[in-house]
Amino acid sequence: MADKILKKAGLGALIESVTGKGGRFVAPTTDSRQVVFKKVKSAEEVATDYILARNSFKEFLFPQTEVVAEFTMSKDSVDMKGVEVYAPQTVVFGARPCEAASLAGMRALFTWDFIDEFYTKREENTVVVTVACTKGDDACFCTTVNLSPESTEGTDVYLREAADSYIVQAVTEKGKKFVETHAAVFSEGNAKAEPLFMPEKIANIDIAKVSARLKDKTHYDDKVWARLTSKCIGCGACTFVCPTCRCFDIVDEGTAFEGERRKNWDSCQYDTFTLHASGHNPREHQHQRWRNRFMCKFHFYPEKFSSKGCVGCGRCIRVCPVRLDITEVMEEFSK
Amino acid sequence: MNNIYLPNLVTIEDIYEEAPDVRSFRLVFKDPKLRDTFEFKTGQFGLYSAFGLGESTFCIASSPTRKGYIQCTFRKSGRVTGGLAQLSIGDTMGFRGPYGNHFPVDEWKGKNIVFIAGGIGLPPVRSVIWNVLDRREDFGNITIVYGAKTVADLVYKEELKHWEERGDVNLVQAVDPGGQTPDWKGSVGFVPTVLKEAAPKAENSVAVTCGPPIMIKFVLNTLLELGFEEGSVYTTLENRMKCGVGKCGRCNVGDVYVCKEGPVYTAAEIKRMYNDF
Repeated sequence: MADKILKKAGLGALIESVTGKGGRFVAPTTDSRQVVFKKVKSAEEVATDYILARNSFKEFLFPQTEVVAEFTMSKDSVDMKGVEVYAPQTVVFGARPCEAASLAGMRALFTWDFIDEFYTKREENTVVVTVACTKGDDACFCTTVNLSPESTEGTDVYLREAADSYIVQAVTEKGKKFVETHAAVFSEGNAKAEPLFMPEKIANIDIAKVSARLKDKTHYDDKVWARLTSKCIGCGACTFVCPTCRCFDIVDEGTAFEGERRKNWDSCQYDTFTLHASGHNPREHQHQRWRNRFMCKFHFYPEKFSSKGCVGCGRCIRVCPVRLDITEVMEEFSK
Repeated sequence: MNNIYLPNLVTIEDIYEEAPDVRSFRLVFKDPKLRDTFEFKTGQFGLYSAFGLGESTFCIASSPTRKGYIQCTFRKSGRVTGGLAQLSIGDTMGFRGPYGNHFPVDEWKGKNIVFIAGGIGLPPVRSVIWNVLDRREDFGNITIVYGAKTVADLVYKEELKHWEERGDVNLVQAVDPGGQTPDWKGSVGFVPTVLKEAAPKAENSVAVTCGPPIMIKFVLNTLLELGFEEGSVYTTLENRMKCGVGKCGRCNVGDVYVCKEGPVYTAAEIKRMYNDF
């Protein structure tokens, strides 16, 4: 049986087909010598030689900053109105299987009893086109968290690279519809997929053991936290590049007469994040904040939402200025 | 679109100065329909906006038995509360809520109730106190142990006087050592010590406490020493929150989200939680 094929030379036609219908096309592109997800208009902008974009594509579903309400103030009153979510039809092209797997947890969180439509509407209008990894680096550890370049969790359309084309597999209904909508750019054919890059599973890590250890509350005041994570400088970079981190702040911006309420990215690594008005801080020390992040990934998400809090993309390892490697802590908690 | 972050507009109907930098607002919804239909349960909280400055989280300090308005009490301490403190009667602010769980007051029928509060921890307890006093015949003995740093820092001074004067409440007031004035007739000592001396009966009783985290920890121990059952001791955790609806990620105590699974917990539940509040 012939495969569904997208010619690499046909990527421009796909971008035109998407943007021509009013959609936005997001893909890895080179900016300041780094490969990052951005909105692109042409195939020339799309990077092909990359392991993983430096940022995660979460910012196209959950922007760094967004207005949720606008208000004007006069002497006697306040006028306020909600803002409609900006949720254009979006194609995220070139996601990796690891980061696509973050979507289940994000959705579970943003629909936990109260539905945050700023997230859900955007996610519903987004098609995730994953390109399976043909290369990786030492920071990749998807196989250690039970994912792999072959996993299609969160992916709508799964692509395998071949010499001059991609082999296309529509995974979800949304993915099938996407392929039908842009049928003209796809063809039937046969191509030989390039071999996948399989990161070696880290031998000393057992993810089930990590979660079990975290469930047992005796670890909480263990000196191991301070020993392993005190070098953290609390910059928060790991949380911003992480595809599953989603902590935010709600702030007002404006003048004395008009303004807007914004939902902005925040980080549990900041010392003021949990600071009470009284001066009391439940997570006063950096290692407590680091413990919170680790527990969020390997305890809260799996326990509360039956979903992955860590997808093994390794971004936090690559970006950390003090070389704090989350897999070292995972190893410690696998003992 | 259903926007979970959009507050309702409320008008400040009255302002009460409670203590230095602490004041209460009596708030009514601008929307007349909402004014009639708004309901909450004792112990729930809300997010209050000073437009242009942001939102802060406080409990609803009034009792659901008092309809048509809500009251909040706050200490001026940061940007938002500083902005709220500048508002006057008739001004507009924002309110989102009610959020969180509540004190199971209906389950306490026929029981004695002991309230223990410290400083600005009285407002959440006040909602329960009035809820109980407004249906006084449903409950047994009522004891209130309330302490603050100094005499000036005691909040709801008029109500304390009222509770002291009415014959069906046993009120014990205290200030921290050094906080007394020459004419102070109440106790001098920290709240857990004063509670121990007051030694309310544990039998057929429930206890409700709120105050600074360190006080809550000691009060819970004292209550257990006095013979109270872990399941009959309640507290409310006032952790920092931004969204109030389980998304923003800062109010969690270990894996427990205070905004969704709290803020009201029994001592038994606190014991099962991580030591992190």
